[in-house]
Amino acid sequence: MTSARAIQAVTCLGCGCACDDLEVKVRDGRIVNVSPECPVARAWFGDGSVPTAVTVGGRPAAIGKALGEAAAALDVAPGRALVYIGPELTMEAQRVALGIADRLGARVDTATSSPAAAGLLAAQRRGRAGATLGEIRNRADVILFWAVDPRRRYPRFFSRFIEAEGTHVPSGRAGRRLISVSVGADRAPAGTDTEISLTPGEELAALSVMRASVLGNALGDLPSPLHAVADAAALLVKARYAAIVNHAEPGEEAGNPLRAEGLIALAQALNGPTRAVLVGLRAGGNRSGAEAVMTWQTGFPMAVDYSAGFPRYAPEARGFERVREAGAVLIAGSAGELAGMSEVLGKVPVIVIGPRASAAPFPTRVAIDTGVAGIHEAGIGYRLDEIPLPLTPPLANAGTRPAAGTLAALLTALRARPAGRTR
Amino acid sequence: MTPARLRIVGGAVHDPANGVDGEVRDVCIEDGCVVSSLPADAPRLDARGMVVMPGGVDIHSHFASSSCNHARRLVPDEHGADPVSSPALTDGDARSGTGGTVPSTFTTGYRYAGLGYTTAFDAAVAPLTARHSHSELDDTPCVDGGIYALLGNDEYLLRQIESGETARARDYVAWILGATGAYAVKIVNPGGIEAWKSGQRNVTGIDDAVSGRRVTPRAILQTLAGAADGLRLPHPVHIHCNNLGIPGNVATTLASMQAVGGRRAHFTHLQFHAYGGAPGEGWKSGAQQVIEYVNAHPELTGDVGQVMFGPAMTITADAPVEYLLHKSSGRRWTNIDLELETGCGIVPLAFKDKAAVASLQWAIGLELFLLSADPWRVVLSTDHPNGGSFLAYPALIQLLMDRAVRDERLKHVNPKLVAGTALADGLAREYTLNEIAIITRAGPARQLGLTRKGHLGPGADADVTIYSRDADIAKMFSTPRYVVKDGTLIVEEGQLRRAPAGRRLRVAPGFDDALLPDLRRHFESYSSVSFANYPVRDLPGEPVSPA
Repeated sequence: MTSARAIQAVTCLGCGCACDDLEVKVRDGRIVNVSPECPVARAWFGDGSVPTAVTVGGRPAAIGKALGEAAAALDVAPGRALVYIGPELTMEAQRVALGIADRLGARVDTATSSPAAAGLLAAQRRGRAGATLGEIRNRADVILFWAVDPRRRYPRFFSRFIEAEGTHVPSGRAGRRLISVSVGADRAPAGTDTEISLTPGEELAALSVMRASVLGNALGDLPSPLHAVADAAALLVKARYAAIVNHAEPGEEAGNPLRAEGLIALAQALNGPTRAVLVGLRAGGNRSGAEAVMTWQTGFPMAVDYSAGFPRYAPEARGFERVREAGAVLIAGSAGELAGMSEVLGKVPVIVIGPRASAAPFPTRVAIDTGVAGIHEAGIGYRLDEIPLPLTPPLANAGTRPAAGTLAALLTALRARPAGRTR
Repeated sequence: MTPARLRIVGGAVHDPANGVDGEVRDVCIEDGCVVSSLPADAPRLDARGMVVMPGGVDIHSHFASSSCNHARRLVPDEHGADPVSSPALTDGDARSGTGGTVPSTFTTGYRYAGLGYTTAFDAAVAPLTARHSHSELDDTPCVDGGIYALLGNDEYLLRQIESGETARARDYVAWILGATGAYAVKIVNPGGIEAWKSGQRNVTGIDDAVSGRRVTPRAILQTLAGAADGLRLPHPVHIHCNNLGIPGNVATTLASMQAVGGRRAHFTHLQFHAYGGAPGEGWKSGAQQVIEYVNAHPELTGDVGQVMFGPAMTITADAPVEYLLHKSSGRRWTNIDLELETGCGIVPLAFKDKAAVASLQWAIGLELFLLSADPWRVVLSTDHPNGGSFLAYPALIQLLMDRAVRDERLKHVNPKLVAGTALADGLAREYTLNEIAIITRAGPARQLGLTRKGHLGPGADADVTIYSRDADIAKMFSTPRYVVKDGTLIVEEGQLRRAPAGRRLRVAPGFDDALLPDLRRHFESYSSVSFANYPVRDLPGEPVSPA
């Protein structure tokens, strides 16, 4: 057995915190250890093995034939192609995927537009007061967790940003007051200094009361849970620097979609009497990167429709809501989260170019396996606060096919189609 | 492809850096450079009857940064109202996009090219997000581009100033510039952003203590101006003064200019810092005081930051100002605090000629231009998109060149605060074509220390803009007939035909490696990004040499 090789300062895209201080040990082409210990990081990296197949109609094929088949399948009328930018791609690959969508006149969406839409749309209506994660660590002396327990899906959040010492909070956790507000099943962390439980039906009233309290409005007599949140608002007002932490991708079971707007409004209002920020936790896989790229290339963070020959915003028809109208689908990135769509995806030609494409949970016309961003592929990945980080792949020479390069080859194949519908 | 050689024949050349003022002559291009001559059989471009200038150089714009992306995200309504189809390029892949005050990246490149601009700098990039800016620049074709790194509110620098470590501060500046691939040092509201983040809300003058520390804006200005000089950076410190947009801020602006004490310095968007009056007591023009000081101090340069009536997007690291703007306007507001470094504030806005303050701002900008004694030192900007889009440059040029148009426009603005300004009293000056060439290309290039930009002498980059003459100056400057970028004809007959990638303009000054252990400790103590991952990797091109 050969000795393990240690790679330092590796960025993990297992969750949106994108910790970039990992040491990853590799032996015989397999990842054998990731430290510091984190269950999400361990699951993200695994042993690093991924398939390297290229298939057409489920059968092995040469890459040239696969790209040709993919280009032909995608050569449908503008608006009939759907490009889905899944997770696990580098920013560089996401850029190419959008270029393909532009050329196809496709509708485009990303892996997070549906779960994150409420927050994105609310921020477009109001703006927002936000911060990078390090500001929580360095400045926040009062932190409110709203219906999210970071320990569940962001295991190092507490150690990195709450317990750690900061420039203005030299005693770390001891210098911070933590408030938890749970809403129904959306639990905030236990063991904080103040814990409040709300029913889903009380949530919007609670946010309104807190904002009114911050704005100095008379509140009159309040019932118990609302009285408690008014007291919590008073703690936030007294903060030197308050941080509100929520889950920006609460999932389908999420409570009121107006939660995001209520939190944004509360954080903005707090900047009258003190300084305050709202930080939304996001899942991993460089989802924030997809939104950043889409914004700079189109002006819109999600739900883009190129069918008119230019990007149009279609937030009312996000994700796969109109997949039944598609004549072809290109999934760039991981398709693993689309298992629930297998029935509808079985009815259109689907091209998958991304990690584990050949293991997609639905039939594919073409599947081209690629490496995973940050495990096999170098490039840039975005943290949940949109800080771009370099990806140092511990398995850079594992023989995987590069996603960005493969997508670029598809774009070349589309350009080369002389009589196709693509421009 | 366009030919490697090209003779631009018979145009009236305005190349003020080489003393050429409208002389009819040929401009010869070979392999992307201007050359003194070409063989007689070289391909020719007929420019007879036209005006030939170097490609435009935008010294101060906001178009490729994470802040711009936050701004883009904020206004889907603007983007929806200004869709942009892919241009019909003869070479390469064309991309669609959207416009508005902060266009998408490809559209930004195309629109700069369509305006005859071939070089542009994003003037405010948080070092932590420099990697993002370079990615946006990669998607902004047609222009050579660079970024200015925001310094002056960063924790490490403040600590060095506080402890008197001037040499280490200089080394840190050099490291930041190299690590982020930046071209220059940008100071925004020195100390004021840290004050905003720490609860002090803002500083009020250059001698205020910053967040209770033994650091003042004056010390920050002097430290960074000294560092830029000591490092022989091609562009001096690029300063956005304290108290932007506040009545009476002219006193702060003059104090800041005096504080740099004879060192080279560039004071940006002067218009936003040239207000007389006092908070709560009203506004008046302070343009004369500012421009007289600049006129008398040859070591100082500036750009105007003209306000143009219409929609704007205020994007600045000066976050406390944006909060005030949000409260006073009631408009959408985004604020992003960036750990250990700076901040960001965004408020969409419109400057209306019926509004008294907007009209005064418009007048002050024009006063600065018209009272400037040296066009080489006071150059054109709208602080895009803060004072208006770069697409407004042709209209601004018309206001400068045509007094009749200017006076007519003056009749339609709110007179309340404009009355009594030098502009209202009558400023007869009309810029010449050569002066326009200075304030839009030769001057900015010289201020930036770009020896191959802004002129058409042998060895210059072959960036050339050719205009058809038109009595309507705004029309003439808004639709160049031809644009050549690095020797490639990218605009033909007013249409974008090619969109090559631009080059990156950056510096990488040397520094004492003894800095690094201390800096590493600082990162390990307080940063959420690993020290090893902070520098931007694989930067394109070679750094520009020191001045």
